[in-house]
Order: sequence, then C-alpha cells, then structure tokens
Amino acid sequence: MSEFTGMEDLLQDFLVEATDLLSGVDNKLVELEKNPHDKGLLNDIFRGFHTIKGGAGFLSATELVTLCHLTENLFDKLRNGELGITAETMDAIMAATGTVREMFHALEQGVQPHAADAGLIARLKQVISGEQPVAAAEVAAAPAPRAASAAVAFTADGGALDWNAYYAAVTGKMPEVPPEAGKGIPQPPKPAEEIIHAAIGRRAADKPGYGGSAGRRESEKTRDNSIRVDTSRLDQVLNLSGEIGLTKNRLTSLRTEILGGMTGTETLQALDAAVGQLDLLVSDLQNAVMKTRMQPIGRLFQKYPRIARDLARNLGKEVELVLLGEETEIDKTMIEDLSDPIIHLIRNAVDHGVESPLERAAAGKPQKSEVRLEARQEGDHIVILVADDGHGMNAEKLRAKALAKGLISNEEANTMDERQSYNLVFLPGFSMASQVSDVSGRGVGMDVVRTNILKLNGSIEIKSELGKGTTFVISLPLTLAILPVLIVKLGEQPFAVPLSMVREILPIVPGEIQEVGGRATMVVRGEVLPVYPLNYLIDWPQEKASEYGVLMQTAEASFILAIDNFAGRDDAVIKSLEGFRPNGVSGVTTLANGHIVLILDVKELLAGLGDNRGVTRQRILPDELLAKAA
Amino acid sequence: MPDMKMKFLVVDDFSTMRRIVRNLLKELGFLNVDEAEDGVVALSKLTSEHFDFIVTDWNMPNMDGLTLLQNVRADPQLKHLPVLMITAEAKKENIVAAAQAGASGYIVKPFTAATMGEKLNKILEKLEREAA
Repeated sequence: MSEFTGMEDLLQDFLVEATDLLSGVDNKLVELEKNPHDKGLLNDIFRGFHTIKGGAGFLSATELVTLCHLTENLFDKLRNGELGITAETMDAIMAATGTVREMFHALEQGVQPHAADAGLIARLKQVISGEQPVAAAEVAAAPAPRAASAAVAFTADGGALDWNAYYAAVTGKMPEVPPEAGKGIPQPPKPAEEIIHAAIGRRAADKPGYGGSAGRRESEKTRDNSIRVDTSRLDQVLNLSGEIGLTKNRLTSLRTEILGGMTGTETLQALDAAVGQLDLLVSDLQNAVMKTRMQPIGRLFQKYPRIARDLARNLGKEVELVLLGEETEIDKTMIEDLSDPIIHLIRNAVDHGVESPLERAAAGKPQKSEVRLEARQEGDHIVILVADDGHGMNAEKLRAKALAKGLISNEEANTMDERQSYNLVFLPGFSMASQVSDVSGRGVGMDVVRTNILKLNGSIEIKSELGKGTTFVISLPLTLAILPVLIVKLGEQPFAVPLSMVREILPIVPGEIQEVGGRATMVVRGEVLPVYPLNYLIDWPQEKASEYGVLMQTAEASFILAIDNFAGRDDAVIKSLEGFRPNGVSGVTTLANGHIVLILDVKELLAGLGDNRGVTRQRILPDELLAKAA
Repeated sequence: MPDMKMKFLVVDDFSTMRRIVRNLLKELGFLNVDEAEDGVVALSKLTSEHFDFIVTDWNMPNMDGLTLLQNVRADPQLKHLPVLMITAEAKKENIVAAAQAGASGYIVKPFTAATMGEKLNKILEKLEREAA
C-alpha cells in the first residue's frame, strides 16, 4: 500500500477506533452469553468484525483480515439462525477476539501481525461448518439459482459491463470457506495470565519501584499518543484563546499609554480590569485544556467484563461484573496507568474474594457472586471501587501468614489493627494464595498495584467484612498535570512537597525530641513518630536547628519532616526535567515570583536512607546548634 | 473529464474508513466531500443539501447502505444520483442485491485510489452518455 500517504496517521486512527469497537464487541459477547438469541447483539458483533476487517484491509493486515473474515462468517450463520450458540462456539469466539487484540498490539508496534494460531483457525472453521452440516449445505445451495437469475436479469438490463466483469472477478476471488470436517484440537483451559494478556493485548510491564510524575511522563511517550476529544471542548479552548488574545491587545495598548506617561487613575483602573480579566480567562483556559484530556472511564471499564468472565469460567465460579459510573471522567494518562492495577484487583476479587458456588450455597448466598467496579468523583478526587460479595478478609490469618513469611515481627503482629492487617497484602512477597498463582507468581501482585496507584499520587485502601465481602478503594487526583504542594524552606531555599502527603504542620520544640532506639522521635498525640530533617535527607549542611515539622503520611508510614520554615501552599504545574532525574526530585515548578522550585519525592528520599533509617537526636540537634538556638 | 467540483457524500459508520475514502477522493482531485455516519444521517443530508455522488458502505447501524440505496432510488428528487457501494461484502448474494437495488458500482474493500478512480470514471462516463 505504498501509494498510500499518511499511513501512520491512518494506523493510529484505525487502532483507536478499532480498539473501541473490539471492546464493544467483547462486552456484547458477555451479554450474548446471557441472551444467546438476541438478534440485535449478533448483528452488532457481526458488524464489529466486519468493520475491523474493512479497515484492516487498507492497512494490508492480511492475517487480521483473515481472522475477522472467519469470525464474521461465523456470526453471519449465527444471526441467520443456521448455527446455535454453544459453549464451544463461545470459547472459539472469545479466543478469536483475544487474538484480534494481540494483532492490534502488533500493529501498535508498527509490525504486521503474524498469522493466527492454526488451532484457532481450525476451531473456528469447525464451528462454522461442523455443527449442523445439513443446514449449512442447504444454505450453500439455496442462493445459487437466485444469483444466477439475477445475473441474467442484470445483463439484460445492459449498460453495466464492468459490473458483470467485476461480479465474476469477485465471486471467483473470494471462495466460501470450505467446510472442513477436521477435528478441532481441544484446547486446554488457558491460565489466568494468558487470559488477561490476551484480553488487554499486552504484557503488563510493571515492575515494582519508585518513580515520580517525571518518570511516568517518560513512559508516556512510548504509548498511544492520540486522543479523541469532543469538538465542543476544542471550540471552548479556541474561544478562550481568542478572548485572551483580545485581552492581550488591550494590555499592549495600555502599556503604550503608561509608557507614554499616562498614569492617571483611569488608565490604572483599566489596567487592573484587564489583568483581572486575563486572570479569569487563563484559569478558564487551563480548565478547558484539562478537560480535553479527560476521558470517560467507561472506555477502560469496557474490557473488564470479558476478563472477569474468562477468569471465573476458568476457576469454576459464577461471577457477574457490575459496572457503575462509567461516565466518570478521568485524565487520559491515568486511564492507561490504571488499566493493569484494576485488572489485578478484579482478578484478585474473582480468584480470592468470592467463593465457589458450593461454598456460597452453604453460606446461604446466591450462587452467582457479584463483583462491582465503580467510579465516581468525590470533590477533587476520583474514587474507584472494586467490591466483591465474597467471604471477606480474615485479619488474623493475614497476620499469621505475614508472620510465617517473616514479613513482620511478632511484636508488630500483635499491635496491628484490622486496617493495618489488611494492608499486609500490599507487602512485596505476600501472596494470599497458598499455591503460587499464575499472575502473582510472575512478580505482578498487590504490591505492584499499590506502587502503580501511588505513582499516580493516589492511595488505595481496603475495607472488609467477614462473610460479606471486600472492597478496594482507590482514590486518585483529578489530574496529574497540577499538583497541590506545600512550599517548605531550608534557610532561604524553597522546596515543594506534595500536599496530599501532608497531615499537619507543627513547631519543633527541642525538648520534645526524644531518642527511641537510637532514633530521633517526637510524640504527637500519643503516636511516636520518627523525625527526618530535610537537610539530612538531601545532604545539606545544617546551619540551625529545625523550627518546624511537617507531619507526613505515606501508605507505609507516618513521619515528621523537619524544616526551617514554610511558605504556604501552591498549585504546582509540574515540569519534568528532560533526560535528567536527580534522586528524590520528581520535577520542578515555577512560583508566582518566578523562582524555580524542586518538587521533592519524599518517599524516594526516605528510601535513600536504606536500612540505616535511624537519625539520631544528635543529628537533628547538635549541641553547638542547640547552644546557638538558645 | 468529470467536474472536479462535484460534491460527494461518503457514508460509513467507521470514521477511519470515511477518512480513507476522503483521502482517496482527494488523490483523484475531488475535494468537495461531506460525510455521514449512517443511512439515516445520509438521507437527511441528501434531502437538505445538494450532492452529486454518493459513496456508501453496506453494513451500518440504524440504516444500512442497501436500504439507503433503495430509499435514494425511490425518491424522485434523488433517484438519478450515482451510488457507489464500497463494502467488504464479497458474496454473490450481496453483489446481486446491490445490483438489483440499482447501485451504480460496487467496490470490495480494500481498494486503491486507482481502482476507485476507474470505477468513478466508468460511472461518470455512463452518466454523460445517458445525458447526451
């Protein structure tokens, strides 16, 4: 297709649109299992494959065309009532959609997809031809006479010579799929990981580790970087930038007046009004631009019913995935980064959360279990829930297990409350399944889920009730582009720390610092918290005793960051440092006064302390400094 | 020589495909192109605006290309319009059904600008012959 210009753009368009289509098809397939005779669904699915086939043809993706063509043929027979839907049919179809998704993935990488697995093709052909050979033969025979007479009538009509030539060419070129009576190879059930990867069409490349917003931005570049935006939103951006242009003109003319010596009250008032207007317009514009990045989360949710179904089927459970709040909007990059964590949570719910039908019957619950995936906006946060109605988590067992694995000490186990016990599942090396399961066995588990959520400046929490079920609550900021920060100071140098981690600011009274086990600590309302001076974390010389402490909370721990002073909060527009990422710095931002401020990745700084986490009291309050302070 | 200013209506539910067709038409020198995502939208555009040529997909929600074609042929205002069907349906029955409904031409996806140009020219030549 070298005569095609702008092929890359076309490929992008195709992938965006076709991926949506395929997700739609996946969902309809899950519905189809419930209503196997729904003509509308059958038609929609048929059309989905048909459309993908049409587009794939232009990209010369022959293998994709072949597979879609086969699947389309199958659906043609299903919608005409020539074939009925059986479990084998469904499995073959599901396998086909999985393969189609894998092919999309290849296209995404700019590679022509390989041929579909021969076993799959054979299975599809068998399903198409094998089930009701009599009916199929009848149909194959039936249209022939009609076609012949029509062709005759058509030639008689005259004036369409090319048409007839074409007709012959086409019918000769595209033979019907030969009915193959060959036995399909019975496929062993796929392991869960394969199901997930087939369904999402890519490998989960998550590795546990730290990475601030700046690091995340880098990986963004390798992704799908096109987006679908409602034109009304773009119009709004256009309008606002037009108005800003007008206001700028007003300011330019005012500048000329002022430079020309006209500094009367009237001019200054006009200047004030113009600046005020610009202020409003710019913040409106920021909002409008942000809106263009917002996508309904339903686009992400779409692919999960299929995954849940496949997993449940594999595990011999009956699970219905209920989606709620699909219209909730969320930043596009976050949608992509959330994809894998949510898959793992759903997998977890289906695998460990809900019981088998037998167990459920014994517990007097309906046989079919429900996993709820819900999104909603709460204030300036997006909350995503993955809730199951299974047996709930047993805090006691969790502690015992963590203890047995040496993840926590006896002492720690004894002082843990329920919430802390639930959070044990997020520890690396903790796997609830006694046997190493296919997903977590590859180093992708709940700890990665949490790491990924934290990377998005979000948090994850577990609520559970024995016998009733477990809910994972993910809370995320609306966008990643703007980060509310607290500006803290060391001497005159400002630094920014994420406000989401800050619980409170308190004065540090030297006398209140105590040494517990060789570490400097402070007691805040009965809680003993370690104190880490900021200058120690970033290896700056200490010039005076810290006056303030910022009580910060991460998912793992609370601690006090000792600083000299603070300058208030700010909404930081994060700029990543291109090609350069110093340890403990997630990005930079510019303050209103034009100063450049480093945004600190406090967790990374703390991790840098390594095992030697203790900071002695001496380190914070050296005697000579104490003397100076006094 | 066909009139390069003639107005095309490209009907397809898949926007990528509409873009492909639009690009192909552009390569052939036809720049006056409007789009519709299904037969219903197409019909409403056809009745409110003037078009010279319809290029339509077959399989679409709401109203498919064949029904659109039948509607166009049944409308005294529109029935003279050339309708080119572009579809991945390559079965005999489909082609015959399209022919019977009065399609001016039929192209099976995928195709090149050359194929499309050839088809368009044949249809336009025939129209001219009939007009003459």
